[in-house]
Amino acid sequence: MHVIVATDGSKQSLAAAKHLKAFADPAKITEVSVIAVIRPLAAVAFADELSEAEHQASWDSLSFREAAENAVAMIAATFDGWGPKVHQRVRSGSPANEIIKAAKQYDAGLVVVAAGGRGLSESVLVGSTAQRVQHYAPCPVLVVRPKPRPKKAKQS
Amino acid sequence: MAHTSDVSVAEHDDGTGLKRSITGKQLFFYTLGDVLGSGIYVLIGLVAAAVGGAFWIAFAVGVSVAAITGTAYAELVTKYPQAAGSSLYVQKAFGNKALTFLVTVSFLAASFAASGSLAAGFASYFSELWAGPPALLVALVFVALLVLINYIGISESVVTNMVMTFVELSGLIIVLIIAAIHIGRGDADFETLTDISVSGNPALAVLAGVALSFFAMTGFENTANVAEETIDPHKAFPRSLVGGMIVAGTVYVLVSMAAALTVPTDELAKSEVALLEVVKQGILPFSTDLMVTIFTVIALVAITNTTLVTLVTQPRILYGMAREDVVPGVFAKIHPTRRSPWVGLLFSGLVVGALLIIGTLITEAGGKLDVVERLALVTVVFLLAIYALVIITCLKLRGQDEDERAFRANTPLLVVGLVGNLAILYWVIYDDPGSLLWCAGLLAVGGVLYLAEKLFGSRGTESTAGPLDREDREV
Repeated sequence: MHVIVATDGSKQSLAAAKHLKAFADPAKITEVSVIAVIRPLAAVAFADELSEAEHQASWDSLSFREAAENAVAMIAATFDGWGPKVHQRVRSGSPANEIIKAAKQYDAGLVVVAAGGRGLSESVLVGSTAQRVQHYAPCPVLVVRPKPRPKKAKQS
Repeated sequence: MAHTSDVSVAEHDDGTGLKRSITGKQLFFYTLGDVLGSGIYVLIGLVAAAVGGAFWIAFAVGVSVAAITGTAYAELVTKYPQAAGSSLYVQKAFGNKALTFLVTVSFLAASFAASGSLAAGFASYFSELWAGPPALLVALVFVALLVLINYIGISESVVTNMVMTFVELSGLIIVLIIAAIHIGRGDADFETLTDISVSGNPALAVLAGVALSFFAMTGFENTANVAEETIDPHKAFPRSLVGGMIVAGTVYVLVSMAAALTVPTDELAKSEVALLEVVKQGILPFSTDLMVTIFTVIALVAITNTTLVTLVTQPRILYGMAREDVVPGVFAKIHPTRRSPWVGLLFSGLVVGALLIIGTLITEAGGKLDVVERLALVTVVFLLAIYALVIITCLKLRGQDEDERAFRANTPLLVVGLVGNLAILYWVIYDDPGSLLWCAGLLAVGGVLYLAEKLFGSRGTESTAGPLDREDREV
């Protein structure tokens, strides 16, 4: 089975990846594709909050592609030595669309996304990307919700 | 946590061609949409007032200088396809952080002023639909709505962008059709086109018009925003950027001729919604009222499209600067769900709102000030300086980082462009030294942010590079 793990550069997406790893059987997964989607027309096309300590982009060389690649690499690293072959992929366009397209293209058996919002939207809404992926993906979707206490979420 | 080595092996979606998503055609329309909305609707009357019936010459000159500058951008973008644009090029060429900071803040300031001018122009057109609310309120609500739209992110669709560009174009085509009918009936007086009615030196009159018309060409530098995501940038950029500007320029010159032929120059000059005057002449064989409404809506869409792009640029610049620790770290805050830099967006909205309020207050206090014109000129001052510097940068970086695919702008043309930019810049400052005050004020915003970061910024620094438990997780 080919599993797609989507990242928007948030720590929640890292938590989602770890969650998958926590319960899934690596023997049944053949490949993992970690996917980041850059939004070219957005104010911040991709924000990497995972690896910025190491790769600090600066204003004179702002590279959202590099940010996306770094985030993907960070997520991919959680699957190091887990078993399945890990692909790192960066696409661009509308996140939900691209994740769904990728799921079709790789004939994915599962898509893993983070639910998105914390705070006000935490209990009411799932992030719009997660929502759209959930609706239109050609395969099962694992929407990982944030844990109630943020401080624990990143320790785990 | 160091996985630097992984970056190089990151595999892209080569099998599908989805590695990058912006095609040459989309880039062309992005450029066209960016340029077309910015100004012709807003300030054609002001240009007419400055020059007289021959104001198309001002557009022709302004467009040419801008298009030449566009070739410098095209060359630099193909060499350094990154979102940072001018700041990156200047840093590459001069390696001077202070200069780069100044250029970045100037660019930010230009963008603020441009948004303000466009918002004021939006209010003028809006009053044609509904004269009720005061212009300042309309402009402020307009800016607030656009900030919200950017926050939600619904303006990010490339398709939406293309549709809006077509709408923009359609308005200008209506103007051309009206003029064609007018000429067909034999009513046009072509002598208007050579009339420079303003007293004094005709060359100077044209130059004054050029400065204003230049505002209508700005916006093309924002295409660097999507440089990274453009497919085959070496081919796509020169074609789409320069092509888009030439198309926009041609449309501008034709539209200004059309306006001059159909509406008496003094009427154009007096009007805040000059292009609408063309429609109001009632030349088209159907209901003028209906056409006026349709055209007003088109003008509003056009202005909205361009303002949206400028409002996206500001938080992006602030984001980059925050990550560099030259402005407070909050500007690097990304909303957890929307993934938008909400602090930067909000701040940009506030600065633009403040510009509009200050402008209106000065007018109300009896000051002789046209908010649209003043902010347009402030934008032009900043951009002319940046454009001139970018051309110098382009020449200076010759021989560096070149590969055979890179586009190479025509050198003699660049020199002409450089002289042109500087001449217009000199004229604007000479003619209207007051705009320098506004420029200084806007630059001060950058200075204040810098100071804020240096004085209170230790927390911001940590939040950018710090450990996992940054406070923005709790937002």
